[in-house]
Amino acid sequence: MMLVRDLFGLSLHNLLLHKVRSILTSLGVIFGVGSVIAMLAISEGAKRSALAQIEAMGIDKIILFSKRPPVSGKSEGSDNASVMERFGLTERDLVHISRMDNVADITGVFDARKKVLKGLQRTDLKLVGCDYRFLEDSSAKIEKGRWFSPADYENDRNVCVIGKNVKRKLFSIGDTNIVGSTIRIENDVFRIVGIINNEYGTQYPELGGQNDLILIPMTTARAHYRDYTFYREGRQHKITRVEYDLLLVKVADTSYIDNTAKRVAGYLEKTHSETKDWGIVVPLELLKQREQTQNIFTIVMGSIAGISLVVGGIGIMNIMLASVYERRKEIGTRRALGAQKSDVLLQFLIETVFLTSLGGVLGILLGIGIARTITYYSGMPTVYSLWSIVLSLVISSLVGVIFGTYPAYKAAQQNPITVLRAE
Amino acid sequence: MAEAPKDENAIVRLLDIRKTYISGDLQVPVLKGINATVNRGEFVGFIGTSGSGKSTLLNILGMLDVPTGGEYFLEENEVSQLSDVEQATIRNRKIGFIFQSFNLFPHLSVEQNIEVPMVYARIPGRIRRKRALELARRVGLGHRLDHRPTQLSGGECQRIAIARALSNQPAFILADEPTGNLDEKTSGEIMKLFHELNREQGVTIVMVTHNPALGPHYDKIIRLRDGRIDDTPFEWEYPGAGGRPVAAPQEREAQP
Repeated sequence: MMLVRDLFGLSLHNLLLHKVRSILTSLGVIFGVGSVIAMLAISEGAKRSALAQIEAMGIDKIILFSKRPPVSGKSEGSDNASVMERFGLTERDLVHISRMDNVADITGVFDARKKVLKGLQRTDLKLVGCDYRFLEDSSAKIEKGRWFSPADYENDRNVCVIGKNVKRKLFSIGDTNIVGSTIRIENDVFRIVGIINNEYGTQYPELGGQNDLILIPMTTARAHYRDYTFYREGRQHKITRVEYDLLLVKVADTSYIDNTAKRVAGYLEKTHSETKDWGIVVPLELLKQREQTQNIFTIVMGSIAGISLVVGGIGIMNIMLASVYERRKEIGTRRALGAQKSDVLLQFLIETVFLTSLGGVLGILLGIGIARTITYYSGMPTVYSLWSIVLSLVISSLVGVIFGTYPAYKAAQQNPITVLRAE
Repeated sequence: MAEAPKDENAIVRLLDIRKTYISGDLQVPVLKGINATVNRGEFVGFIGTSGSGKSTLLNILGMLDVPTGGEYFLEENEVSQLSDVEQATIRNRKIGFIFQSFNLFPHLSVEQNIEVPMVYARIPGRIRRKRALELARRVGLGHRLDHRPTQLSGGECQRIAIARALSNQPAFILADEPTGNLDEKTSGEIMKLFHELNREQGVTIVMVTHNPALGPHYDKIIRLRDGRIDDTPFEWEYPGAGGRPVAAPQEREAQP
């Protein structure tokens, strides 16, 4: 309709005429939409990185880990006595679980519990023995050098593959010939054959980040350390015996992963009946839980953003009502010149929708700005999607329709006689 | 109400128009039966002091208000009891409003101001612009189309308002004290413009004013007094004027 086009032009004209006032008026909507966009970008970014991290642990995996059982009462024996502590997953568990239905593969990791020093400083790095298939099952990539060869396993060679962070923590920045050099851990010297990188920085329970591991072949680890660890605590000598610190169980069919996990847990509960010295993590389950909490987060943030939009809408309604009063003479003149009530209504409604849509556009820019700033300063990933922008535009014009209707109705109901007399 | 014969020549015909305002228990009759006719091509002045009911009559003539009783024929159609939508349409197509304080839209250009009634008549933009230019030229402001009303003098503003009133080729122009905000010289120019429009283009003009000094301009004067038409001879009001309305010098002071 022709008139609508004219009214659009008129509204735009009015907005541009009072630039500052228009922006101040739509400030509520600007912040409302800005927070919607920023909130969605942050939550989407957090979701994606969390999902990627969980996925990197493997959605077809069940992760079993050993944990030191809670100490019950005081340890027995005299002050100088050696205490033997034995807990965790065993070779028997590994063999038994590998025979279960739906278990395709199982990879063991053993923590040698050695102090890894840089100079005299102890680091948080860990020396672990791992099975040959660990590389494939942990979704890490070779960054430099190579993975272990079967010969390394057969001959118990003193070779190691280090995680990306190990390089940073043990060597100075200038060092280039890291592959091929050696590291000394307590009394043993290992030659570095490769550097691996897990780009998601996957964290394993009890073991920590994968990039912080110094990996040696399982056979080498067993040859050097068996499965004993000696250490001193106060005046007590302690021996810890753990056969496996981590078991990565790969299932054949992920749709039955729940079931398989339950059976594995049932088995472990039976065989480790004295103390709870193991744990289980199913990444797929984590994924589902994470999605749920994410939804709750989105709903809560959405409600807050919604409230600010309502407040913004009320602000605009207020100002439009004042504007109707201020423009009574214009309204009266328009009515005298032949404007229908509906024409006046439409004019004010379009003006309000224009205002809120303008707020929407500025809000989107603000939101993207906020998201970018957050990413810049905190490194948190943010993702803004097209649908969130479209949604914000639709919502902001909807706010205009909802909160513009009453002022527009008021404008249309102005009596031209009285308003023409009002000078 | 007796059925009056149709009069093809009459643009406006008022039959016993009454208006009573009710405030609480009090009924205040403002118009007490007005009978008047404005013929095609006439320049008619409604003259009355404040309180005579001329504002109310103006509102009824302009279809901004509805009479309590009586009939209002506009081009021989009874229009006083029409719906809101129909009244707005008639205001738009048949009546050209001119106000004392011009009532131009300060933020619109001269051209856009002239176009406003045509916008409400849903006339396409191309035709609107062409007609706005013609009308601006007709009132002598063809070179000012892109200006804002705030950049114009009072007289120029009123010229634009006249162009705007003419834009939908209305049945008649309804002017409310059109020279009330202008100085004497500019008033004269505006009245001259009205005259030209009336004489050269046959535009029917109804002017409502309190200013008897404008008397000589009109073809017909209808005087209002206390809600009624005052039929007494002019001598009663202006001794020595000889029955013809003349501008009495002492009356000029009544101008604001």
